[in-house]
Amino acid sequence: MRDVTIAGAFEVPPRRYREHTSFDLFRMILKGALAEWNVRPREIDGLLTTTGGDVTGHDTYIHGRLISELGIKPALAETMNLGGASHQAMVNRAAMAIREGRANAVICISAGKMMRPGLGAAEIMVRAICDPNLEAPYGPWIAALYGLVATKFMAERGVEARDLARVAVSARKWALLHPEARQHGAGPITIENVLASRMVVTPFHYLDCSLPSDGGGAVLVTRADLGHKWARQPAFVRGYGEYHPRGAVSDAGDLIETGAVLAGRKAFAEAKLTPADIDAAQLYDAFSSTPLMLLENLGFCKPGDAARFVRSGAIDPGGSLPVNTYGGLMSYGHTGESSGMSLLVAGARQILGIAGPTQIERARNVLIHAYGGIMFYHTTTILGVEP
Amino acid sequence: MNQAAAAPSASLPVPDIDDVNRPYFAGTAVGELRICHCPRCDALFRFAHACCPNCWFQNPDFVVSSGRGEVETFTVVHQAPYESFTNKIPYVIALIQLSEGVRMMSNIVGCDPDSVQIGMPVKVTFEKRGAVHLPMFIPDSRV
Repeated sequence: MRDVTIAGAFEVPPRRYREHTSFDLFRMILKGALAEWNVRPREIDGLLTTTGGDVTGHDTYIHGRLISELGIKPALAETMNLGGASHQAMVNRAAMAIREGRANAVICISAGKMMRPGLGAAEIMVRAICDPNLEAPYGPWIAALYGLVATKFMAERGVEARDLARVAVSARKWALLHPEARQHGAGPITIENVLASRMVVTPFHYLDCSLPSDGGGAVLVTRADLGHKWARQPAFVRGYGEYHPRGAVSDAGDLIETGAVLAGRKAFAEAKLTPADIDAAQLYDAFSSTPLMLLENLGFCKPGDAARFVRSGAIDPGGSLPVNTYGGLMSYGHTGESSGMSLLVAGARQILGIAGPTQIERARNVLIHAYGGIMFYHTTTILGVEP
Repeated sequence: MNQAAAAPSASLPVPDIDDVNRPYFAGTAVGELRICHCPRCDALFRFAHACCPNCWFQNPDFVVSSGRGEVETFTVVHQAPYESFTNKIPYVIALIQLSEGVRMMSNIVGCDPDSVQIGMPVKVTFEKRGAVHLPMFIPDSRV
């Protein structure tokens, strides 16, 4: 099988870009990425993008506008949406096209503007993510839907509010190292700080929630020989798994053993690696409960062991399995439709050796897991320094 | 989804009646919680489906649930998602496991939100909202 690499990874700092439209953000990302990557228009023959970056106004033809903006004539181009799983799915679709000889160098890009409270954001998002007749009348919103899953996880696996809080504490530790994280200058937090912050929906306090932000980024997926040309150390796409076992929180099936179990197994099998081979993991943390679930679902911890693992400091800077080395969606920022790109960029940069102050000493294999919906659509990618 | 992207509404959301869910809400209007049933494979499902999600039989029908079950999981909402729920907080959203083995989402009402627990026995009640009767659950003291 032909080797595929990520040769470049760029992201604009997550902020509140109130004066910018989502298309302004796409332009900022392209300018920044192209300046860093030093590629020419004729060298790019693929363009994949998520929808237009604003939850209210999905622009399903954004790939066309970006083609126009870039002046390219790609063989592969598409606007894709799998929520937070979109970004790894873009890398996978690009990798498939490259392996089939249909493309050589593909830009995968996303921008997001998380709506501000007070604009009807929660209501619009609820109608997008919930069954409008079966679920929405009961007053759920994103946090409450996660709350249902977290409450059951905590009861089944003996996890306490303090254990959730400890995940948020770790994310902040990483953000303090990352100059572009939104909470970089906010100082450390303690478990007690999290538990003292206001209750949003049980079991989540304010500091257990991700931080609504605007932003976006892009990665350059290439044939391996081009990866070597464009990067000192390209990131090889060693394994990928994807699984979509449910579409609503009230669907039948296991809420705790999520689609991450099978997506992870597929990725590990393709990479011929095990959890013990992974040097760092980026695990989608819309709320503090999900990295604990994913540590167990992906086989890093036995069921019921994740809380103890996190308490030991294992996922912190200097720990045995650094997790969310960029500060996570909780302390780096959750950029709406671009959220999963932050994990991907952070993971790729570790392998590319350009993670700056967050660079871990040994980064030979990094696992990235993101999902869309309320843990519905799952993608696992393993990047490594070797094919 | 025909109300998606509309302006934020001040009243509580009301389900839209369509051809698939009409028998379900016809049931709640007469005090019955109906669950979707496949006459071919005998599987049971929450709410309403156009075809059986187990065997894709084209004409699932409905059976009447006992209306009893237990709380599988829940969350107490302290921050209202939008204006129409601000008078409701704190309120409880739960996933209910009906005694027939079907999971559904609902509210737990008629008790202190902090008293709700996983495994708590509950029974159905109905709240009129617009022209629709919404199934909700109260603690089941019979158990």
